[in-house]
Amino acid sequence: MNNRVRITKLILWSIVGFAGAVGITRFLFGLGATTNLTDATPWGIWIGFDVMAGVALAAGGFVITAIFYIFKREEFHSFVRPAVLTAFLGYLAVVFGLLFDLGLPWNIWHMMIYWNPHSPLFEVGWCVMLYTTVLLLEFSPVPLEETSRYARIRRILMKFRFPLVLLGIMLSTLHQSSLGSLFLIMPFKLHPLWYSHILPLLFFISAVALGLMMIAYESLVSHWLFRRKPETNLVEKLAKAAVWVLSIYFIVKMADIWLSGEWHLMFDGSWESYLFILEMLISTVIPIILFSIKKVRTSTAGQWVGSSMVVFGMIFNRINVGGLTMLRATGDTYVPSWMEITISLGVVSAACLAFLFAIERFHIWKEKPQDPEWEPYTPPVFDHTSEVWLGTPPLAARTKYTLVLLLSFALGFALIPSHKIESKGVEIVPVQKARGGDTLFIDGNHDEYGVLFAHTQHIDSLGQKQSCDKCHHMNMPMDKATGCWECHRYMYSPTDAFNHDWHADAHGGNIACTQCHPKGKERQAETAKKCDDCHLDLLPSDNPIKVENYTAPPYVTAMHELCVSCHKKKAEELSDKKNLALCTTCHQSAPPKYLKAEISKHLSGPYFNHVVIPGVNLKQEKEQLHKNE
Amino acid sequence: MDALLDFARGPFFRFSFAIMALGLLRVIVLDLLGAYDAYRKAGEKDLPWGLIISRSLQWFIPINRVFKYRPIFSSISILFHVGLLLVPVFLFAHVHLWKQAIGFGWFTLSKEWADWLTILTIASGIALFIGRVFTRSSSFLSRFQDYLWPLLLLVPFISGYVCANLTISPKLYQLLMLTHVLSAELIFILMPFTKIAHCVLMPLSQFVSNLAWKFPADTDDAICTTLNKKGAPV
Amino acid sequence: MSVAILTDITKCIGCLECVSACKTVNNLGTDVPRVWQKNDGLSAQNWTSVLQKPGNHYIRKQCRHCLEPACASVCPVGALQKTPEGPVIYDSERCLGCRYCMMACPYGIPRYDWDQVVPYIRKCIMCYDRLQRGQQPACTEVCPQKATIFGERDELLAEAHHRIKQEPDTYIHKVWGEHEVGGTSVLYISDIDLGFLAYQPNPGATPLPATTRLAMKAVPFAFVGMGGRCMESTGLFDDG
Repeated sequence: MNNRVRITKLILWSIVGFAGAVGITRFLFGLGATTNLTDATPWGIWIGFDVMAGVALAAGGFVITAIFYIFKREEFHSFVRPAVLTAFLGYLAVVFGLLFDLGLPWNIWHMMIYWNPHSPLFEVGWCVMLYTTVLLLEFSPVPLEETSRYARIRRILMKFRFPLVLLGIMLSTLHQSSLGSLFLIMPFKLHPLWYSHILPLLFFISAVALGLMMIAYESLVSHWLFRRKPETNLVEKLAKAAVWVLSIYFIVKMADIWLSGEWHLMFDGSWESYLFILEMLISTVIPIILFSIKKVRTSTAGQWVGSSMVVFGMIFNRINVGGLTMLRATGDTYVPSWMEITISLGVVSAACLAFLFAIERFHIWKEKPQDPEWEPYTPPVFDHTSEVWLGTPPLAARTKYTLVLLLSFALGFALIPSHKIESKGVEIVPVQKARGGDTLFIDGNHDEYGVLFAHTQHIDSLGQKQSCDKCHHMNMPMDKATGCWECHRYMYSPTDAFNHDWHADAHGGNIACTQCHPKGKERQAETAKKCDDCHLDLLPSDNPIKVENYTAPPYVTAMHELCVSCHKKKAEELSDKKNLALCTTCHQSAPPKYLKAEISKHLSGPYFNHVVIPGVNLKQEKEQLHKNE
Repeated sequence: MDALLDFARGPFFRFSFAIMALGLLRVIVLDLLGAYDAYRKAGEKDLPWGLIISRSLQWFIPINRVFKYRPIFSSISILFHVGLLLVPVFLFAHVHLWKQAIGFGWFTLSKEWADWLTILTIASGIALFIGRVFTRSSSFLSRFQDYLWPLLLLVPFISGYVCANLTISPKLYQLLMLTHVLSAELIFILMPFTKIAHCVLMPLSQFVSNLAWKFPADTDDAICTTLNKKGAPV
Repeated sequence: MSVAILTDITKCIGCLECVSACKTVNNLGTDVPRVWQKNDGLSAQNWTSVLQKPGNHYIRKQCRHCLEPACASVCPVGALQKTPEGPVIYDSERCLGCRYCMMACPYGIPRYDWDQVVPYIRKCIMCYDRLQRGQQPACTEVCPQKATIFGERDELLAEAHHRIKQEPDTYIHKVWGEHEVGGTSVLYISDIDLGFLAYQPNPGATPLPATTRLAMKAVPFAFVGMGGRCMESTGLFDDG
């Protein structure tokens, strides 16, 4: 087997395996756990690249059928089958990739029964469905050649070949352009350099240009891969045609920008203006110049450079329209997560593998590049990398590729960031203690937006020194009034108030397992001793809050539950103090001036996690308590 | 130590579990594909399907023919296999971890059952090992790794039992827990690539071995080619 | 006729009663800041929020219930619908989760259950079930200052203009939502500029669905036209 093909296949298989692990995660834990999408950027790279660029890259199919069947250019015969196959696999990849992006992918068939013909997406959906079916029917005679069993079906398909081709071209025209129509509804979000009322037209023209170049690019890549003689003459003809189409695209685009008076935006120095110039250079201007020179057009290297510039430039264009240039309007920052990128690459790799699979088994080209099944029997060979005896080539290939798939799948599974899944989008914000003197400014996350809390006044009105218990419902050992922030340690996430490792550690509590976990029972939190079985002073006797387990709710929740419930009750009791239960009564946007000095003193101080009471021997006190018991 | 334990329980566990799950699936698929190839090339197409199915089923029913010849060995082996499967899958602590990770759990063994099964598994494992060493027919067939396997399988059982039931110092607890997790993960990773794959290949073994008797038409020549004795009479 | 909500920014004291009433009535659960939220207070658990602007101005943000909503026009399965009564409502049974509505909304209102495995679009539905029972939305009902009020859209518009005429020095002479993107069912009068509520301060009076309507109308013509063009060039028409 050809080494280039083998290495390419190994890489593709490993990407597919890696993406497979990520894909499973996406369906197990949802979009928030795997993507960096936000409420302001609900479409990311899965739409910009997989769908928008994917459909555009599959344009080769309708362009080549138009050239061959409509314009009767018989010399392009050898391009028809690979291009139709690419288009078919490209559309399958788009649909498959879309399944990851849709929130409710199992409802995708709803498009068939619930109609909203006003929606461009409805039209795109239907066109993709129909065109994929048409492509399947256009392509299926090729695999049917292999067996004589379905000769009749093949004959019927061949008879309807021309109408199918026609239908395919009509459908493609429609939805290549309606992909542009999708963005007509976002005039305020999409940057004016990309937004245009003729977006559908621009999308269609660029799709034709990209289709031409995609056929050329694919021919170049596959001929390099299988070490075949490149079809330089035909590619040159395509390049010549592309110059015309690209020129039309360039003129229409510039005229549109000129007429809508956005010319100055191209040179205003914003990052969008550079992005636009870069995109136009790569996708249009440089390829036009390159392919206008006959010497470049006829050389393989020139063809490589020119066609890859158009292909990547147009992908770039689709990503720009698909969301990148909306970031200024939405004020959002979006960088795709590595998991999003992996899935995109995985879908593409799977399509490439399917292409290679088809090309080895069916007559896509005049001769099949290699057909392992037909090779004569060869003795098993010893493979020095995996140290096993490999059987016949197909068996060896199977063994190797699946091994790579397996390893990269496991690696992908191991790399999945569990903290991103567990956090559910909530950032861990540590809480710091309230600052001030008689009046405290409660501002756990130090964002200067907090609650002014008259501590001394509450003590006075709730019953002097005996009233601590009413709010301080659980105290650290040897403490009378533990601050809220010591157990409720995070703003929005719960904390485990019980420090297991400290209790078990020789330098800490030094307690044996069986002192808390009864023998003969599962060692778990539910069956263990409760904290207040040992710490007798943990829970004040008349506290208002029932401590059910030792998972402390988030700081915000805890404060609201404690304060608001009491304030609501009081507001109902006292008719003259209705304001007591209003949020703004307590919540301040900034700390008052007279507290500023006090607050800044604490701001730079260390963050204590536990109260240290000087002069208290914990162990001694504990023994004393047990004696009293 | 904590970081190591977190790594072993997090990413490394996912890695080894994926290797096991997908690896075993891969072994089945490759086996079936290979069998299909052989079947397609086979000279004689009709296989004794009834016999294949009945023999495969026989292997799943503990009282089979082997039981008649070596009753002690068979019963110990059955005990060992039952413990090996039931304890890790249905242990309360394991199911609890699954519940935390993926949101759902399943039936669990009670504490007493789990403890006794663990002890029985350890004991039967040691018995099988001793049997393998001292029975002449077994030791004749055994390779080095065949002695290693029962010992490796016992490591997570012993360390797990100690962690769950005995009072030990926290440092030792962590060390044993790490041993427990890592040895189990080593087993996971090795499973698809070693003879432990018989846990999923068992149902296929009768099918494949019957297929082997229906070699394709020119297999004899191919074998001779392999042995560098082309043209020799078979 | 269609109903509407009028919010008078000069009267709002920022008490957040509307926010908590909305939460209770719609069972929205506790709100926690998530990494994917916009900083305007709206989220899958907050269908209305109160923004604070310098000088003690409080602006209640919610779905504008456009007269010609972009979200409903782009939804491929019609999961979002403009009801004749006024509210734009959501049918989670139909939704397939494409999030085109979120992309299309000129005010950036619809939110998503990003943390859910089965996520839905979340936005204010003007308490549609309460409206059908003859009640008014929870937010307008609880407002202690009558800063946000509920009624027929025509009457509220008249009331808004009346208030501006009464105190021409206080108010900016504009009713936000009267003509914006074809008019909305949630109206504002204010003493500060409210341009920040939309992606563009002056979105114009053209309804957004009109931008795609032309392209969508061209669809059958393009379809038939392209087909005809192709057949012509292959010479199929020459025979007949």
